[in-house]
Amino acid sequence: MALVPIRYNLRSLFVRFSSTVLTVCAVGATIAVFAGMLSLQQGFATLFQERGRDDLAIFLRKGATSEGESGITLEQCKILKNEVPEIERNEADQPLASAEMYLAVRLRKFDGGETNVAIRGVEPMSFQIHGDDVRITEGANFTPGSDELIVGEGLLDRIANCRVGDTLRINTGTFRIVGSFAGKGGYQSEIWGDLDRLQDALQRPVRSRVLARVPPDVDLAAIEQRYTDDLRLQPKVLNERAYLASQTSDLSARFLFVGGFLALIMGIGAIFTGTNSMLAAIGARTHEIGILKAVGYKPFAIFLSFLGESLLLGVLGGVAGCLIVLPFQGAETGTMNSTFSEVTFAFRTTPTAMLWSIVFAASLGVVGGLFPAWRASRMTPTEALRRG
Amino acid sequence: MPWKLLFRNLLGHKVRSLLTIGAVMVAVFLVCVLQAVTSGLSRTLDASAANRLLVQSAVSLFVDLPLGYQQKMASVPGVEAICKWQWFGGRYEQDKGGFFAQFGIDPETFATSYPEMTIADGSYEEFAATRTACIVGRQLADKYGWQVGDTVPMLGTIFTRIDGKPWDFTVKAIYESTSAAFDQQQMFFHYQYLRESLEQGGATGPDGVGVYMLKIEPGTDPLVVQRAVDGMFENGPQRVQTTTEAEFNRQFISMLGDVPQLLRLIGGAVLFAIFFAVLNTMLLTGRERTRDLGVMKALGFGNGVAAGLLIGESLLLCLTGAGLAIALGLLIEAPIAAVTASFIPGFALERDTLLLGAGIAAVVGLVSGVLPGVRAARMNTTQALQEIA
Amino acid sequence: MTAAIQLRSVTKTYSRGGEELRVLDELDLDMDDGTFYALMGPSGSGKTTLLNMVGGLDQADSGLVQVGDEDLAVMDGGELAQWRSEHVGFVFQGFNLLPVLSARENVELPLLLAPLSKRQRREQAERALTLVGLADRMNHKPRELSGGQEQRVAIARAIATDPQVILADEPTGDLDRDTADAVLELLQRLNRELNKTILMVTHDPQAASYADKTIHLDKGKLGRIEDNRTGAEG
Repeated sequence: MALVPIRYNLRSLFVRFSSTVLTVCAVGATIAVFAGMLSLQQGFATLFQERGRDDLAIFLRKGATSEGESGITLEQCKILKNEVPEIERNEADQPLASAEMYLAVRLRKFDGGETNVAIRGVEPMSFQIHGDDVRITEGANFTPGSDELIVGEGLLDRIANCRVGDTLRINTGTFRIVGSFAGKGGYQSEIWGDLDRLQDALQRPVRSRVLARVPPDVDLAAIEQRYTDDLRLQPKVLNERAYLASQTSDLSARFLFVGGFLALIMGIGAIFTGTNSMLAAIGARTHEIGILKAVGYKPFAIFLSFLGESLLLGVLGGVAGCLIVLPFQGAETGTMNSTFSEVTFAFRTTPTAMLWSIVFAASLGVVGGLFPAWRASRMTPTEALRRG
Repeated sequence: MPWKLLFRNLLGHKVRSLLTIGAVMVAVFLVCVLQAVTSGLSRTLDASAANRLLVQSAVSLFVDLPLGYQQKMASVPGVEAICKWQWFGGRYEQDKGGFFAQFGIDPETFATSYPEMTIADGSYEEFAATRTACIVGRQLADKYGWQVGDTVPMLGTIFTRIDGKPWDFTVKAIYESTSAAFDQQQMFFHYQYLRESLEQGGATGPDGVGVYMLKIEPGTDPLVVQRAVDGMFENGPQRVQTTTEAEFNRQFISMLGDVPQLLRLIGGAVLFAIFFAVLNTMLLTGRERTRDLGVMKALGFGNGVAAGLLIGESLLLCLTGAGLAIALGLLIEAPIAAVTASFIPGFALERDTLLLGAGIAAVVGLVSGVLPGVRAARMNTTQALQEIA
Repeated sequence: MTAAIQLRSVTKTYSRGGEELRVLDELDLDMDDGTFYALMGPSGSGKTTLLNMVGGLDQADSGLVQVGDEDLAVMDGGELAQWRSEHVGFVFQGFNLLPVLSARENVELPLLLAPLSKRQRREQAERALTLVGLADRMNHKPRELSGGQEQRVAIARAIATDPQVILADEPTGDLDRDTADAVLELLQRLNRELNKTILMVTHDPQAASYADKTIHLDKGKLGRIEDNRTGAEG
């Protein structure tokens, strides 16, 4: 079956230039929203995909869904550090395990509002465990046992009083910022300090978790199993990757949900606009359609031709939408995670986001073009030629 | 002005008219929903009371204040009553995925401090008299089909019982609220019951109270009380932050950060989309109508009529779309509000929101009609008549 | 009011593709009230332009265009529109009925510009349609009518406001022989029974034979005027 040459469709899109431009813009606006939401989700997801090591184990209190809910005593931390054989040791034969405290603390933003920022009290061993994943980029690391803090890079542009040399009031204690650090994922939006000093200032003798280095393929469920009937403690054990996935899946899903909802509704509007555009185009070209049919093109070829033209319109709209969104690339934004803490991430229009956007746009074009293309294919040559 | 012709033209191209109305309807609906979300947030701020202050940790949402603070605060001049608010954070046994707020409070001071709460069913006195009783909001009771006298088992996450069983609360009263800021999806029980369980070793959980509510005497300057209380605990053990109710609510909104801005951007995109859509329709219509309008002008109708017909059609399409969107919105407003209550407080389509939607549609209609309308008004009649339709 | 038409030194020039075309060149012409004129001439001779000029659809660059007591050349666009609605009826080659309105509604259209009540409009429209023999097709839409019927509706529309002058531009161009004759007979009747002045542009000599006189135009200037009844030329 002979197909109508694409040249014909391209030319007609160009001939009705203003209508094509307006339709592309309308579809483009829809796709921009879709691509925007996807970019937010991608920026968020990439942040956490970069992290999540499977050779780091996290011990929480049983039943806690996040560090914020978890509480472990000093005694329980000691037990975990010394009694779990799977925990690796360093050259000095010390267990690579560290107790940490996590609390979402109120801090002032630059724009005057307040937000919650994660403060993490760590032991010096934490730095050995993370290795190069946590690097001091400005100033110096805090001295253990002192009232000093280091600030994650992601916070520097959003939170007030976070620069090297500033002081922060944490409850009744005053701490000095001595450095900033780069850390992958959520650590980038945290403030770290000495575990004991922070606990003292906060009057909060509770630890949130024990972080430990383990072999990548170790059976963490088995460790958890071991303590089911232990009266002293019943930890929840999972690796860092699994933990972060559990924390972020909620927010990631929320972005996708909202994005999908908006895309659906706006998509319906875009389909209406596209259909209108195509119907008008076909109405103006009935004479040409009659000629095509008289010349011998089958109805199905006509159908495909117009469907293809509508698809092309959609794709152009998709490209327009992506172009609108691209300038926002790398813009930093923040939101709350499950513990209401600030999470900073960058807007990322990844190739994945763009691909899905264009696929979505193309499908809008196809759906919008079905009815007009069908109508065009059904026209009898005499009808078409007479109308012209 | 030939009104009949206006309607006939729209009816003569039913599919095009319906599609355009559809596009406008979708856009106006979205704009109204987005606006309802943002205005819902600010409404809860406006409804806050002026005679209630909230005392919380200056450091973190997640840090409790010592019990001993209550007596000290009671001695501050201007403080009429104090009510504790302790976040329970439990889950309803029969709907572990569902979310609603539960608080341990002081029944003696609670009802008198919150006059916007009205008892719809049951008895507040019985609630106050029974240690394990609870009072629930109308929307919450309706959602789960709770009646006065039912027992509600709650699984504790922050406060857990040693015996591993759920906490059983008996519904003694159901309340309704006259204020947007006091929502009807909450559950309140005796703080004292929690306290006793912790002291007697029947349960584990944090000591202390999340938030103290201070009701101040009429005529007292809230700022004075705020400063007094903050100053009282300046040196710990836990520093406090005393704020008005409005400021307290606002803190949650400011934590949303960029979300309102994002909503505004999306609203803008929706606006552009519908503007292009309607303009497209009207320009196409204008072009097709050239010969007809030429005839009208030849017959003696003025340029104003030619433009007016196109502007009128455009307005009619847009306002119809807006009307349908508003009707749809009002229809599903209640279900949406119920579904989103937990993360979007106070979702409601106010009159101002609907007017905004209609106004946007009208402006889009006007501008989209003016462009082809002006062209029609200016066009050369003899040339127009020669156009093949 | 007589509808004697007078043109004096009428000139109209169009610019096309950088060139200036003189479509009407210092044209002088007198037309009598109540006469049926055919206007003929080769393509580009200015016949349609002349028609448009007399109808107030177009304005001369210079010269006098007087219809009845009014000089059309000095009126502005709004005044011309008003004048058209009261004094002129148009019949076009392509019928030009509004497809979304019924026959009666199409005929009522020009009546909307007159200070008439709804009932009066309706009556006048029905009267016009009866005159052209289409009273039984009043509520049909144009697409439900044959070509000849459409043209008759157009004529009904043209006489609905009872103008003195009817201007027809190739009214039978799209019709077959028999239908064309019926339409031309109708025009003749309107002229003889109602004393309408008719100016009809045509390229068909047989159509022209229905008129009282035939005006010939050539290159924007007046050629000869034939009297179809007597055969005399002037």
